[in-house]
Amino acid sequence: MEQHTLASILAQGSQCGDCAGIWFYLIITILKLVLVFAVILAFVVLSVWIERRVAGWIQDRPGPNRAGIPLQLFQRFGSKEEQPCKKLLHFFGVPESCWIAKLFRWLKLDREIPTFGLMQPCLDGAKLFLKQELTPSYVRKLYFTLAPMLVLGPPLVAAAVIPFSSGFSTCFGDVNMCVANLGIGPLWIFAISGLSVYGLTLAGWSSNSKYPFLGGLRATAQLISYEVAMGLSIIPLLMMFGTLNLQNIVQYQADNGWTILPLWGEGLTWQRWFMMVPMLISFVVFVTCVFAEANRTPFDMAECETDLVGGYHSEYSSMKFASFFMGEYAAMVIGSALVVTLFLGGWSIGFGADAALHAWCDWFAVICQFLMFLIKLVAFIFFFVWVRWTLPRFRWDQVMKLGWLVFLEVTVANIFLTAAIIYFVK
Amino acid sequence: MEAAISSILFYLFATIAVLSAFGVVAARNPVNSAMCMAVSFASTAAVLFCMGAQFLGIVQIIVYAGAILVLFLFVVMMLDVKSEERSLSSLPRAIMGVVIAGIFAGMVTKAALLLPDATAGTCPVKALFCSDCKAPAATETAKGELSGGALPALAPEGEEERSDVKSLGATLFSQYNIPFVILSFALLSGTVGAVALGRKVRKD
Repeated sequence: MEQHTLASILAQGSQCGDCAGIWFYLIITILKLVLVFAVILAFVVLSVWIERRVAGWIQDRPGPNRAGIPLQLFQRFGSKEEQPCKKLLHFFGVPESCWIAKLFRWLKLDREIPTFGLMQPCLDGAKLFLKQELTPSYVRKLYFTLAPMLVLGPPLVAAAVIPFSSGFSTCFGDVNMCVANLGIGPLWIFAISGLSVYGLTLAGWSSNSKYPFLGGLRATAQLISYEVAMGLSIIPLLMMFGTLNLQNIVQYQADNGWTILPLWGEGLTWQRWFMMVPMLISFVVFVTCVFAEANRTPFDMAECETDLVGGYHSEYSSMKFASFFMGEYAAMVIGSALVVTLFLGGWSIGFGADAALHAWCDWFAVICQFLMFLIKLVAFIFFFVWVRWTLPRFRWDQVMKLGWLVFLEVTVANIFLTAAIIYFVK
Repeated sequence: MEAAISSILFYLFATIAVLSAFGVVAARNPVNSAMCMAVSFASTAAVLFCMGAQFLGIVQIIVYAGAILVLFLFVVMMLDVKSEERSLSSLPRAIMGVVIAGIFAGMVTKAALLLPDATAGTCPVKALFCSDCKAPAATETAKGELSGGALPALAPEGEEERSDVKSLGATLFSQYNIPFVILSFALLSGTVGAVALGRKVRKD
């Protein structure tokens, strides 16, 4: 696949004397930036909604059902109708016992315009914006203000290397569908999303208060412990792929079977089937580490209410408080995207469909692959939420033990196992 | 244009790096010092990125992000920030610091000048890791524009044979294999020593 870099395009442009290549590169890059930014922010909002819905579903309660648009609202704006839905059914002569009326009642159409609780995140946001912003007098102001930014910023930047579709070519040049096609993909995400722990630590310290400080310390310890296992757990994958470029990794999976579903291409060889063992170990360890990095519930030591009041964000209010949660959800989205990209085939539709679609129509293939990526992302976010509402929170020493005494050893052994399989099984 | 972009980025990040490095020593509050250090390392990583040494840049962030966090914890847990803010440095201490810094700066300058192509205007880091590979066409044109300056050009990225992860690994594990192993053992013994010192000794 041809790769266009700023340098090569600028060199071409200055040689040929036309600026089309440069402008094409700049415009496409800006479009991709906007797309990635929009997808991440939309998914932050969407995952709040998924969280509430799934929590309600798992705990056998209605969930967010009071955030529809009530029909009484129309009465206030001058509508004379008492119950518009009933009137409508009556007008068409549908009896009350008919299935259409029952369906309407089940959808609560007689009371409100249903939004399935999708209004809830918007209302949450509005509430948080309108709340009083309170900065305690004893905090260190600079770091107190800086901390929420440091939590929210890095996950948005880390998204730059995630490929969300395969490339396609136009008359101006090839387009690679990730913002920065770096040769160090996963490392970039580890490094940048690891920076967000600075926000947690600084928030805990600058609050100048006991429990937030403990929360910040826990966040630091947890990050340092789990980043080791996280880095080691993807080494078997890198040994198999032989590249760090995420676009190439996904291309490999599209051609030769997803990492944990090798059912076509080279994935049918014995080596790949033996490789399933280390890959599944890597998958479990990596997913657990992603949970720990994103501070999600089995591992949310830094904000454990039962020990620490509210953890590092006890002293925060209004939108600063909300930024921490947006950062947490953004980290969850990025973590899911990375798991999907490394283990579940990224944008690839699978079963050899990618090449066939590309042969048929480039644009259609790209759109299908983008949708496939979004579907996988939603599925994995659902898994995140499912785990949160199923598993109880670990104790602090259990988390540390799991990181240092189990995962570190397992991942190192896993690397040797992978090497042995690559060497002995052909 | 390419040379212009790369010089603007280089000067921007280099200025931030130098200013925040100055902040590390100038700041009275140790926490401010630690944070300045983080900014300084991050902008050094950005300079490495501009040179096309992506792996080195990202490793700079991965390694030092955790290291500075631990430093931060040491500052917060072990030092009394208020009393540190009051203390003033004495003249002999300052002179000693200047001498050590001067020696170190001299060493770094000498090492940089000894690099292949150090004066020719190509990127020293790239020259370090792929002295055998041909300079790309883009760098050739940039060299012409940059005859006076010693600024690096924006290096092409992503091509498999010029991937800096590969060339760095090949260099480390072939040419410098023995020093690398010795260094790893030194670090390992340091870790084991830290664990041995930090372990609780049971009395019974």
